[in-house]
Amino acid sequence: MPTVSVKWQKKVFDGIEIDISLPPYVFKAQLYDLTGVPPERQKIMVKGGLLKDDGDWSAIGVKDGQKLMMMGTADEIVKAPEKAIVFSEDLPEEALATNLGYSAGLVNLGNTCYMNSTVQCLKSVPELKSALSNYSLAGRSNDVDQTSHMLTVATRELFGELDRSVNAVSPSQFWMVLRKKYPQFSQLHNGIHMQQDAEECWTQLLYTLSQSLKAPTSSEDPDAVKALFGVNLLSRLHCQESGEESSEKESVYSLKCHISHEVNHLHEGLKHGLKGELEKNSPALDRTALYLKESLIDSLPRYLTVQFVRFFWKRETNQKAKILRKVDYPLELDIFDLCSPDLKKKLEAPRQKLRDEEGKKLGLTSAKSGSKDSDVKMTDAEGSSNGSGESSTVNQNEGASSEKETHMTGIYDLVAVLTHKGRSADSGHYVAWVKQESGKWIQYDDDNPSMQREEDITKLSGGGDWHMAYIIMYKARFVSM
Amino acid sequence: MAPAQDPNSVGGGAKRDEATLKVPSKDPKKKDDKKEDDLSEEDLQLKQNLELYVERAQDPNPELQKAALESMRQDIRASTSSMTSVPKPLKFLRPHYGTLKEFHVKMAESDLKKMLADILSVLALTMSAEGERESLNYRLTGSEGDIGSWGHEYVRNLAGEIAEEYTMRQGEESSIDDLMKLVQQIVAFHMKHNAETEAVDLLMDVEDLDLLLEHVDSTNFRRTCNYLTSAAKYLPGPDDMLVLDIAYMIYIKFSEYPNALQIALFLGNMQYVKQVFTSCTDLLKKKQFCYMISRHGITFELDSEMVANDDDKEMLQDIVNNTKLSEGYLTLARDIEVMEAKTPEDIYKAHLLDGRASSGPSVDSARQNLAATFVNAFVNAGFGQDKLMTVPSDSTSGSAGNWLFKNKEHGKTSAAASLGMILLWDVDSGLAQLDKYFHSNENPIIAGALLGVGIVNCGIKNDCDPALALLAEYIGKEDSSVRIGAIMGLGIAYAGSQNDQIRSSLSPILADAKAPLDVIAFAALSLGMIYVGSCNEEVAQSIIFALMDRSEAELGEALTRFLPLGLGLLYLGKQESVEATAEVSKTFNEKIRKYCDMTLLSCAYAGTGNVLKVQDLLAQCGEHLEKGDIHQGPAVLGLAMVAMSEELGLDMEIRSLERVLQYGEQNIRRAVPLALGLLCISNPKVTVMDTLSRLSHDTDSEVAMAAIISLGLIGAGTNNARIAGMLRNLSSYYYKDASLLFCVRIAQGLVHMGKGLLTLSPFHSERLLLSPTALAGIVTLLHACLDMKSIILGKYHYVLYFLVLAMQPRMMLTVDENLKPISVPVRVGQAVDVVGQAGRPKTITGFQTHSTPVLLAAGERAELATEKYIPLSPILEGFVILKENPDYREE
Repeated sequence: MPTVSVKWQKKVFDGIEIDISLPPYVFKAQLYDLTGVPPERQKIMVKGGLLKDDGDWSAIGVKDGQKLMMMGTADEIVKAPEKAIVFSEDLPEEALATNLGYSAGLVNLGNTCYMNSTVQCLKSVPELKSALSNYSLAGRSNDVDQTSHMLTVATRELFGELDRSVNAVSPSQFWMVLRKKYPQFSQLHNGIHMQQDAEECWTQLLYTLSQSLKAPTSSEDPDAVKALFGVNLLSRLHCQESGEESSEKESVYSLKCHISHEVNHLHEGLKHGLKGELEKNSPALDRTALYLKESLIDSLPRYLTVQFVRFFWKRETNQKAKILRKVDYPLELDIFDLCSPDLKKKLEAPRQKLRDEEGKKLGLTSAKSGSKDSDVKMTDAEGSSNGSGESSTVNQNEGASSEKETHMTGIYDLVAVLTHKGRSADSGHYVAWVKQESGKWIQYDDDNPSMQREEDITKLSGGGDWHMAYIIMYKARFVSM
Repeated sequence: MAPAQDPNSVGGGAKRDEATLKVPSKDPKKKDDKKEDDLSEEDLQLKQNLELYVERAQDPNPELQKAALESMRQDIRASTSSMTSVPKPLKFLRPHYGTLKEFHVKMAESDLKKMLADILSVLALTMSAEGERESLNYRLTGSEGDIGSWGHEYVRNLAGEIAEEYTMRQGEESSIDDLMKLVQQIVAFHMKHNAETEAVDLLMDVEDLDLLLEHVDSTNFRRTCNYLTSAAKYLPGPDDMLVLDIAYMIYIKFSEYPNALQIALFLGNMQYVKQVFTSCTDLLKKKQFCYMISRHGITFELDSEMVANDDDKEMLQDIVNNTKLSEGYLTLARDIEVMEAKTPEDIYKAHLLDGRASSGPSVDSARQNLAATFVNAFVNAGFGQDKLMTVPSDSTSGSAGNWLFKNKEHGKTSAAASLGMILLWDVDSGLAQLDKYFHSNENPIIAGALLGVGIVNCGIKNDCDPALALLAEYIGKEDSSVRIGAIMGLGIAYAGSQNDQIRSSLSPILADAKAPLDVIAFAALSLGMIYVGSCNEEVAQSIIFALMDRSEAELGEALTRFLPLGLGLLYLGKQESVEATAEVSKTFNEKIRKYCDMTLLSCAYAGTGNVLKVQDLLAQCGEHLEKGDIHQGPAVLGLAMVAMSEELGLDMEIRSLERVLQYGEQNIRRAVPLALGLLCISNPKVTVMDTLSRLSHDTDSEVAMAAIISLGLIGAGTNNARIAGMLRNLSSYYYKDASLLFCVRIAQGLVHMGKGLLTLSPFHSERLLLSPTALAGIVTLLHACLDMKSIILGKYHYVLYFLVLAMQPRMMLTVDENLKPISVPVRVGQAVDVVGQAGRPKTITGFQTHSTPVLLAAGERAELATEKYIPLSPILEGFVILKENPDYREE
């Protein structure tokens, strides 16, 4: 009876006797006692071959002192998890879209980047989206004309499609309707559609939407778009010749940032834009005279749009020329000193509250839990403002004044930038840069969305041939009281 | 082959002594006159003296003649110390050269005539016209006295003329006996005066290197052999083999066995290897030899002739079989403190990327999980633990197989096989861990387990042949993925072993008309690996028949390329031996003919540096072809394979690839990054890195993919921060393109391979030896990368595991006489080429002192920083046995 040694994992079992008259299965049973590996799981290697259960020892020719190797464990055999794992490769495209964290791009239909970037910027306003989704096909009120209705529907469809799709969406339907409504966008040059001014598109689109989204049922303030974007200005007109003074109120959808050589910063540009001269018939002098106009903000919108007046008509070249001057803009804008005294008064308490909360956040208060609480509150506040976008639009204009839970603070956060690259408004390239709810910035360059860093967003302030901000949009920061 | 040193400095020194001794006796003032410029009084006198001698030499009176010649000789000898300017006596004798020559012709045969011939021979040094070889002719008619007495420059000149004369006489087929006599003298002189390089050069010129054996002694044999081995790289065959033969014999003569073994391995001459073992009697040294053989990765059986004692034999065989490799590697890892397992996320370092790539999708992507599987396998290779595959099984959730099932279908094969990679070289634990997958009911998992067994056993041999025992029965299974797993596993585990048993089970597959193409392709490849560089006729035949049997459509498949490659591997580095097979390949279907041609050529001359073959291949790349031809890819890879062996050719190749890149067609451009990757494998040269970085943004995505993989290859196992940074940026640049991102991930895994402890370089032992199996593994991967889309990005991604053949720890581990690791201080620095340098130059520069075990980067060399121990191998790489120095005294 030869004795062999068996190596199993790192252990060696010496001096195992083999009864060569019995089948190898018996030997395996011997090993089972030693290792605890059931015979059917044992694999015994003898010089390049496996030992068969019913093999013949004499054919294998085991020698005394030979070393055998055994493989096998009593480990559980791996089983596939009961729930099959889903891979992104298997998912339909729609499901993928939600995974991406941002929506799709828009195909350029031939110089339509001005429109694409405008749509992408406006799409970032959730309140506008929800207002649109409430807009029903049938519920067209009579004071809205057919084309406006169609444009509104097209906008709604486009927004929806963008949210569902992974791949770039072709806005052909929307474009067709837009051109129908505003024929100036169908201008051709050499047989192709011309590049247009994004600002014009922005203004026209918002105007149409404001017309059609006037809820027929609500009586208080039906204009949803105005509630979101409208800025009420209180202007004082002063004629230096006659000393006459008058005041007037107006409502605009965007503030203008005028660019002159003194202007280096958005704030200066805005101030500049709120002052103006105009010629007007003076009742006292009975002729047209020069009036100075100074405006102050009387009510704040949820979304503050600022247009950089970068283009002016250059008579010599007969085109809209561009001012390349660098005008910085902040990620966080405070427009307190542009407000009217009344508004300032209203803003004071919420601002104080905001300052306190921020102070807490920065760790001025000792308790850690305290700051956490305020964090939660802050997010809560924001969440509610987002969620209640719909309802608050109903009487949004009073959002700042009425004693509701959330209050305007006059502080705004940058959420979207529409940039232009090139030397004139009718040429070059428009791109939208939009902040997602996750806090990430996405650059929508037509059909190609890509992630961007926040610090790169502030670098779009001009001063070179890089993309420079043309229209920027801020979102109001609220504080709950 | 000009010697780098100026031998005058030493050779002339002896002469000067002689001169100072003799000159004063003749004319005490003569020594001083050398220092004066122009024709000073002294010079004038010398000139007059010489003129007088010339006149007297022609005097009929033999006494006077003799005296004059004697004086002339004295004067000349006194001044031939240096050739920076023509020595004065020679200068003054110039006008009289003609006269003396004429007189010599007229002279009757006598000692005096011989004496004059001697003098003329020296004068001819400056006087004779180019190609006349007068110096040599007069020397041959001269007195045959001590050749060295005329100074070193004279000897050098003679050597040059001998070489010329020799070539001429070879042409005329006349006798060379007289020349050889002179050669004997010159070689003896050179060898004595530290001018081994010149002696070797002369002997190579007259094709009689055997003479060297008589003249080497214990002081100069090292330098001689050094010169011989490095000269061999630049010699055309078969001279190079001859030169190395001589080097081998010299080493054996002086009992310098480790070096002899190195050369024997380089020559691939097993007879020599055996001789080293039989000539050496020191058991400890034999252990060191075994370590060297194991690093080379060849299969080697010791017999009782080499080691008498059975127990000793077993122990030595264990070393050859690499059974201790895992242990040594883990010692290194523990010492460097990198045992902690790393996850793929630790490698990706996504947090260093701002914004862009950090938003991973919340749903698992099969492709990205597969990439993570590979990264995990490469990074934790050989450590025996990781955080995905070897996590302790949790019976409640069954998490043991969790990661496995996060891979899809064929991805599970790679996932299961990755376990083999993690437990690399540790056969016992590896088999235990893989066991459970054998019992799975999913074919891809079984295939992965089979492949894993092959990987675990890579480079390790075991008496029980567990890999063969386990895999053999799966070769004939129904499912082709299982078959491929078993076949590939065998190929990896038995690469280079020339195992007949495997051949007899794999060859029938090649002839099986029913076998699917992929099974046949992998069978051919595995056979090529197992018989790498063997020139085995039978294997070649079966692959050739398999190629001939393929239909037109099959020849167009991407995987078909493995058939010619398998064939090529049989002749890896075997040069002319390929010719018969290359002839046969000309009869193949034209779809594969050229591809096969190129593959055979490039494999056969791989690592030879053969310039003619480089030119052949370059010519192939120069053609602008119709679309659809794919043979230029292997031609470009071939350029790198042939030229990779030595530094100069390598640099030249990198430059010429730049041209190829600019002028080549698309299919060439795709191969260029891969060729660069091969040339600088595990050796991140900055210039190549920049080129690849540029190509990684190429508009052609295949070029970009190849460049990205190559970035991984050149940085493989180095943890190179710059490449890691580049790849990180690429991962955000390509975050939307799943295929490119997959390549980036693989490259990231390669760069951090073995947490920076491994190398893929097939060269070792100070870049002298080329491991055939390692090269085979890399070349296979590169050929697969030529069609990235259908192979690596398709369902055959596991070909990436062929890299395991080239994976070796880049360590220097010192062990004591009982083979237990000991820590000693060593200096590690950039290696300096000291071949042909005078004196005892430093072999490393810019060194730092560490204690062993240490890592060696490409181009680095180590030397012991203590006298306490003596290393048993002159090459401090891998395992080095240290012996206590008996003469060492503690200070």
